[in-house]
Amino acid sequence: MMETLELNGLSKIFNAPPDREVVALKNVDLQIASGEFVAVIGPTGCGKTTLLRIIAGLEAPSCGAILLDGKPVIDLHRISTLVFQQYSLFPWLDVLGNVAFPMEMKGIHKKERLKRAEEYIALVGLTAFEKAKPYELSGGMQQRVAIARALAHDPEVLLMDEPFGALDERTRHRLQKILLQIWQEKRKTILFVTHNIDEAIYLADRIIIMATEPGRIVAQKKVSLGRPRDRLTEKFTKIHLEIRNIIEQSA
Amino acid sequence: MKPEPTLPREGNSRKTAAPGLKRLPITLQGFILPGLFLIVWELGAVWLDNPALVPRVTAVLAVLLHPFTDLVGTGSLIWNTVVSLVRVLTGFVVAVVVCVPLGIFMGTSKILHRMVNPLVEMFRPLCPIAWIPFAMAVFKTTTVSQLFGVRYTDTILDSVQIGMIFIIFWGGLFPILLNTIHGVAGVRTLWTETARVLSASKAQIFWKVILPAALPAILTGLRIGVGIAWMVIIAAEMLPGADSGIGYLIMYSYELAEMQILVACMVVIGLMGLALNRGLQILSNRVSRWKALER
Repeated sequence: MMETLELNGLSKIFNAPPDREVVALKNVDLQIASGEFVAVIGPTGCGKTTLLRIIAGLEAPSCGAILLDGKPVIDLHRISTLVFQQYSLFPWLDVLGNVAFPMEMKGIHKKERLKRAEEYIALVGLTAFEKAKPYELSGGMQQRVAIARALAHDPEVLLMDEPFGALDERTRHRLQKILLQIWQEKRKTILFVTHNIDEAIYLADRIIIMATEPGRIVAQKKVSLGRPRDRLTEKFTKIHLEIRNIIEQSA
Repeated sequence: MKPEPTLPREGNSRKTAAPGLKRLPITLQGFILPGLFLIVWELGAVWLDNPALVPRVTAVLAVLLHPFTDLVGTGSLIWNTVVSLVRVLTGFVVAVVVCVPLGIFMGTSKILHRMVNPLVEMFRPLCPIAWIPFAMAVFKTTTVSQLFGVRYTDTILDSVQIGMIFIIFWGGLFPILLNTIHGVAGVRTLWTETARVLSASKAQIFWKVILPAALPAILTGLRIGVGIAWMVIIAAEMLPGADSGIGYLIMYSYELAEMQILVACMVVIGLMGLALNRGLQILSNRVSRWKALER
């Protein structure tokens, strides 16, 4: 597989008053293949969200570069988009309007973008709620709409910052299944931040483990289990323990 | 304005056949006291028998029911109401056109906010009515028509004085400006960041995120502003130098002791204030529904 997304020595230093510097990220190198599902896991403050925000173009790195197919990326918003942990739907728009939003930004004709938005909404199984407003939806439904909206942007890389973090376990498991289905159908590259080891193993091809002070990558772990994965198998639990050990040792 | 509190359901009261007021249809219950008020007024007026002090309800009604009749040589009730309304709306439009963009800039730019805010705070405690004499001195009786270089245009603009527009502008300025600033400052970073990661340009973020997100607060500002503008114009028209308008008519009928016209004017002023408020409220409810229901 060709390596599409390449992070080269990414660092981020925040200035914290008075005269203190916080190294949120130090020298992060990472290659992500096209269509790969990568999970990033680590304790609070390890810079995983900062890493995602840099790739999403919301934060400029202090140094380092992001390359796509070996070329520096000029407009990160064009190649990637971010699904936030918080419910980020625009409350003044209905589901259809939210999902059509990124296509509206691209200047796609109204009829065309509504038609395509309907397809993305169907993909997350919310066709019956096209006309609903965000406040009428449950948290899980809102995140499904947020995923549909992110897909409607049609990015090369889908960045997800603990998108299921605020949901109850059953809903989370359902959304994980839906996400895997979409990923297998659309073959997007996904970089998924979580602090839930179980979630990372269930979803990802590869797990990146980060540690704090300074925020850095300490280990990587390939998950070579067939899909759909069963959380109750011995292999699954073994990987779970391995990752937990790495996290505890690096703390 | 706060939503009206929902009254307890009256379903069971009918079954238990409670006597008296509870048996009245719900819609009628609100009319009892106003009706009583009118009756007491009418009886008082008949008993006093001094129409130069307290006019009879029927006399006031007679004025209200003939709104196109010329009153004491100052034009009809309708004409004077329209003149006041046009003044308010002209001044109000100027206030909106200036204050909404200014408020948006002040809400988004910290530097501009720091620069302009002291000026805002300096003038804010000043009652807009205090500006009236100053406005009359500066603008005299210059009308909008004269602004275009003609003395008379035979349109309603002949009755819209620059000074009036000026003070209405001041009346609307602060509620509109402050609510707009508040609305824009309340736009969540999450929404603008979401728009950014979905490739929205700066202009698109402004038109498609900041403006719709701030619109409920802006409309609240407009509603408060139009209420103040309406009060201010009545006061301005009551002062010497005014030649028309509902405020002028009320003052003139006072001088002639035509109390039935005076009270009719009061009714109209109240009704117009209510209508302006309600109109904007309906618009605002439609636009701001998400704000009220948002978690």
